Amino acid sequence: MPKVLIVAETKGGAVRKPTLEVLSKARAAGLPTAAVLIGGGVKGRADALAGQGAATVYVADDASLADFSLDRYAAAIQDAAQRAGATQIWLSVSEMTKALAPALAGRMDGAYVSDALALEIAGDELTVTRPAMATKVLQKVKFAKPGLRIVSIRSGAFDVTPAQPKAATVVDLPLPPADTRVVLKQVLQEETGEVDLGEAAMVVSVGRGVKGPEGVELVRPLAKLLGAGFGSSRAVVDSGWMPYAAQVGQTGRVVTPDVYVAIGISGAIQHLAGMSGSKLIVAVNKDPDAPIFSVADYGIVGDLFKVVPVMIAEIKKHKG
Amino acid sequence: MNILVPIKSVMDVELNIRVKDGRVVEEGINYILSKWDENAVEGALQIKEQVGAGEVTVVSVGPDRAGESLRKALAMGADKAIHVNDPAAEGSDSLGIAKILAAVARKGAYDLILTGKQAQDTDQGATGPILAALLDWPLAVNVQSIAADAPSKLTVQRLGHAGKEVLEVTLPAVLTANDSLNEPRLASLRGIMQAKKKPFEALKLADLGIAPGDVGAAGARVQVVEILPPAGRAAGKKFEGEAEEITRQVVALLADEAKIFA
Repeated sequence: MPKVLIVAETKGGAVRKPTLEVLSKARAAGLPTAAVLIGGGVKGRADALAGQGAATVYVADDASLADFSLDRYAAAIQDAAQRAGATQIWLSVSEMTKALAPALAGRMDGAYVSDALALEIAGDELTVTRPAMATKVLQKVKFAKPGLRIVSIRSGAFDVTPAQPKAATVVDLPLPPADTRVVLKQVLQEETGEVDLGEAAMVVSVGRGVKGPEGVELVRPLAKLLGAGFGSSRAVVDSGWMPYAAQVGQTGRVVTPDVYVAIGISGAIQHLAGMSGSKLIVAVNKDPDAPIFSVADYGIVGDLFKVVPVMIAEIKKHKG
Repeated sequence: MNILVPIKSVMDVELNIRVKDGRVVEEGINYILSKWDENAVEGALQIKEQVGAGEVTVVSVGPDRAGESLRKALAMGADKAIHVNDPAAEGSDSLGIAKILAAVARKGAYDLILTGKQAQDTDQGATGPILAALLDWPLAVNVQSIAADAPSKLTVQRLGHAGKEVLEVTLPAVLTANDSLNEPRLASLRGIMQAKKKPFEALKLADLGIAPGDVGAAGARVQVVEILPPAGRAAGKKFEGEAEEITRQVVALLADEAKIFA
């Protein structure tokens, strides 16, 4: 019987939804689960994790851990995994875990598979379905030998089972030593703090077609009106009109919202890799041959500078 | 500054990829230097130019065709190539590849290992981080700029969770390259000619002290069982015409048909 350690992520004082999704999956599969929680002022979140089935929550809570440090976080997770007797470590896919998960594999001689869209669990067998080749194919990957297994799971792959917080059994971990070899000097661009792209039910995204910051501001009210996350293609981020945190695509965030509205985005494969899993896609583009229309459920061929204001007005009418 | 650049020869994913009988159809497929590895080669060349001394060595674990990618890197300006070309290495998982690269790294005296943030075929991004862990070297991934302005330290800008981070990384270290790191130079005709005379070392696993069972398909703890085409999407509706009119139409459909404003 596998024993799973789940790496919890928090944001703004709450447990992130992808963490709850991962916990829910482990619970649904009937696997004994523990969690590890690292950060500054995060200990209070342990009960939420216990409510989702984590029998024990290992905590490393210190102001010095508020900023992500690969070395220190990996050390704390390794400690928790050894104490828990974990045979598997599950993480949700995020900028942090893209490096953290394989780093753990190297440190702990673990086998690692990233970006799970589905998991098939049968006793000690674990098979992962994941996208590859810029999502042009799906791979079914099996953990073929015994030994530690590490999996990162795409947000939206699993549903959150509603649960009540429960008193957690907390084990405080000793603080990992400071990392002198990688020192964070500065963060140049903070995340905007608006609706988190990875967790939003709707996302509105802008592409090069918006032509500049004024075009971005034309579309922003649409995102606000829908309570949507506001994202963009890479071209817009490279031009400096939106922060990197907004970037959707192979080189940015992969999002799986219920509704994705692509405004002035052509739909290059690198962008599609980041949003083609969305349930419903609406696209606005001047070019009738834009590749985005091959994935859009509703495509509007037109000038976004004319279309977007009309969209906003019409949606207001429907929302009442 | 001696820099090791691990590179991978991959199927060109920009082409039409077809899946049949659980595998990607090989016919008509071109193999190319994985694009983020190309950014890494360029990044290494620029650091060498900035520092004014040192060597850039490219290494690849793969069959004969990996030699083409190595030669391309030499033509761009890399100084040496190492090709680990051993059938027993075929089918290695990321851990296996990283073990081989770690052995290559230990054979030389490198200050920096710079590789692409992920390979274009697997999109996993595991090799760099695993390699750093095996060597116990500091790691920074998804790097956008690198400045070698102090001895034995690099100032690196990377794209992280919270935004653009500025890090000071102590050498020796492992960095992985984002594509906004640079625009890779094209190999000149002169570069291509010069590449033919540059040191090109072919190695077997035995030369690295690696037992065949440790890596390759034999040692792989992770195996690709099957390749499937992506989940398809039903064809959508495209609306053309007068902007106001079609927008009104679509919003009405989103409200009544798709019911997204509930």
